[in-house]
Amino acid sequence: MENVLNIEHLTMQFGGVVAVNDLSMEINRGEIVALIGPNGAGKTTAFNCVTSVYEPTNGQILFCGRQIARSSPSGKMRRIYAGSNANAYTGESVRLSPDQVTRLGIARTFQNIRLFSGMTVFDNVLTAKHLRRKSNFLTAALHLNMAEEKRMREETHELLKQVGLMDVEDEMATSLPYGKQRLLEIARALATEPVLLLLDEPAAGMNPQETEELCSFIRRIRDEFQLTIFLIEHHMNLVMDISDRIYVIDFGKLIAQGVPDEIQNNPDVIEAYLGGGDE
Amino acid sequence: MNAYAKQKSRVPVILSFLIILAVYVAVFIAEQNLPPTSMLFTVLKKGATYALVAVSMNLLNGFTGIFSLGQAGFMLVGAYTYAIFTIPLSQRASVYQYFDGGIVQFTLPVPLAMILAGLVAAFFAFLIGLPVLRLKSDYLAIATLGFAEIIRAIFQWNQLGPLTNGSNMLRLFPNFNDFNIRNADGQVTVYLSTLIPFLISGLCIALIVMLIHSGYGRAFKAIRDDEIAAEAMGINLAHHKRLAFSISSFFAGIGGAMLAMYQTTVQAKSFTSAMTYEILLIVVIGGVGSVTGSVFSSFLFVACSEWWLRFLDEKQIIGDFEVPLLRNGFRLVVFSVIIMIVVLFFRRGIMGTKELPDLFRKRRIKPGKEG
Repeated sequence: MENVLNIEHLTMQFGGVVAVNDLSMEINRGEIVALIGPNGAGKTTAFNCVTSVYEPTNGQILFCGRQIARSSPSGKMRRIYAGSNANAYTGESVRLSPDQVTRLGIARTFQNIRLFSGMTVFDNVLTAKHLRRKSNFLTAALHLNMAEEKRMREETHELLKQVGLMDVEDEMATSLPYGKQRLLEIARALATEPVLLLLDEPAAGMNPQETEELCSFIRRIRDEFQLTIFLIEHHMNLVMDISDRIYVIDFGKLIAQGVPDEIQNNPDVIEAYLGGGDE
Repeated sequence: MNAYAKQKSRVPVILSFLIILAVYVAVFIAEQNLPPTSMLFTVLKKGATYALVAVSMNLLNGFTGIFSLGQAGFMLVGAYTYAIFTIPLSQRASVYQYFDGGIVQFTLPVPLAMILAGLVAAFFAFLIGLPVLRLKSDYLAIATLGFAEIIRAIFQWNQLGPLTNGSNMLRLFPNFNDFNIRNADGQVTVYLSTLIPFLISGLCIALIVMLIHSGYGRAFKAIRDDEIAAEAMGINLAHHKRLAFSISSFFAGIGGAMLAMYQTTVQAKSFTSAMTYEILLIVVIGGVGSVTGSVFSSFLFVACSEWWLRFLDEKQIIGDFEVPLLRNGFRLVVFSVIIMIVVLFFRRGIMGTKELPDLFRKRRIKPGKEG
């Protein structure tokens, strides 16, 4: 099977704190893969490395075979580096900005919802189409790109219909109920036409019924948009139900990986996570 | 269904256009019939100039969320560019009397010089934006304020005299009064000295509004609302911020050229940071994020400071009673109090983030939201 995302020996160290330690994982096309772990395990940090919000301290990330990040500890970090494989990724480092990564086809949502608060639902999604534009600012300012604008509006409309937000498209994004704001964030991410969609705790703050709906929603968009989905989640029901494979990290280190059944019965995972008394 | 709803909402836009057109007609008629020395025209000319600069500042502060205080600096660049390239050849010797008539020995037509004024200001903004736009909020404000002060000092530098006339003023370039159409005897037949600044300002503001309503405008607003999310949606922050900064400065430069025409003379020392604060004030009073608000409050501000509150600066005697407190400078005290009241009680300004068409829309939607 074709790999969409390869994370190789990713280490992210902030000062003396190793947030992600030697994490390696791969995600195949069309899969739904979950990354779970107790609070503070480094899940979101791993996400931020994939989307280039952070520059990894060490390691390499490939997206569809293309390097999107590669670095090895340098400068002061060389001395205080506490991870492994310090010399494996020397040579030319690769660093993209978050918008470049999005343009390549990785879209994300945020753990704490980050909608464009001053805009309507429709404009939120329409804005995310901006990166696929062909017009420059002059033709756009003089409204010479009517065809493109019209197409973008139609696509936005279509997208909102698909995710079921059409009836609220003219409302302000922040006036929506919480669950719909989550949906809107996903819709906005979809508008960037991604190959890989990263969902950071999509079910946070949702009740069981909403969670269930979200579950089928994620499956549906995976099929309709031919997506590969990589998600972080705390709701075990959702994770076990939806994921093809699961990676578990604790204190930044990978402690288990496998299909949901394996994870559920893995003693390390129960020790670190499920046995923690949280769930 | 949606397309239908969108079409329905065109009425407020058309109404707004009609109002704007009516204003232009009113200005034209007033100009033909009232004495040209009337205070009204001073206010209208300066108001139109400030409106453009305020809207350009609003594009940055209100729509892109970049808190810049460099507006006076860019106006200065625009004003000087315009003045330097439009002083008639025959007058250069007397204007540049200490610098052998200056080094620029040609003149450009007025429209070309104005566009050049904008371009030079935008070019300065582009260069300054490279390092400065990495900063956020207050730090950016301080950096841009510093730029404005530095540019003011540089333009007064004696070594640049052949170009900028040092600390001496530039004068005798075409001003608003030259737009009046005169007959052979030098008598004015059609007064256009107020209408033309209105047209220039209106055209520029229309361009800004069109930009705001394009995809780039949405990207600017996205950056304002949430930089991290905007970047995650593929919007190149550096590129878009630089673009907004340069475009804003382009129009500030044109505004500077208009101010030069209004004042009929240009001197670097008059482009102080106080000028930037005045414009910031206009933006805040009008509503950060509302073009209509900026335009409206520009006229209000200029009218108050130049005209309506002038009486506070002079002794007023009603009957036998001499009104206390009124003396030179009291106007500024009253002005400050008004500003404090606005900031305390009308924090969102006159318009908030609403625009002219929204004023008509509100009334239409309220009785039973139609689906």
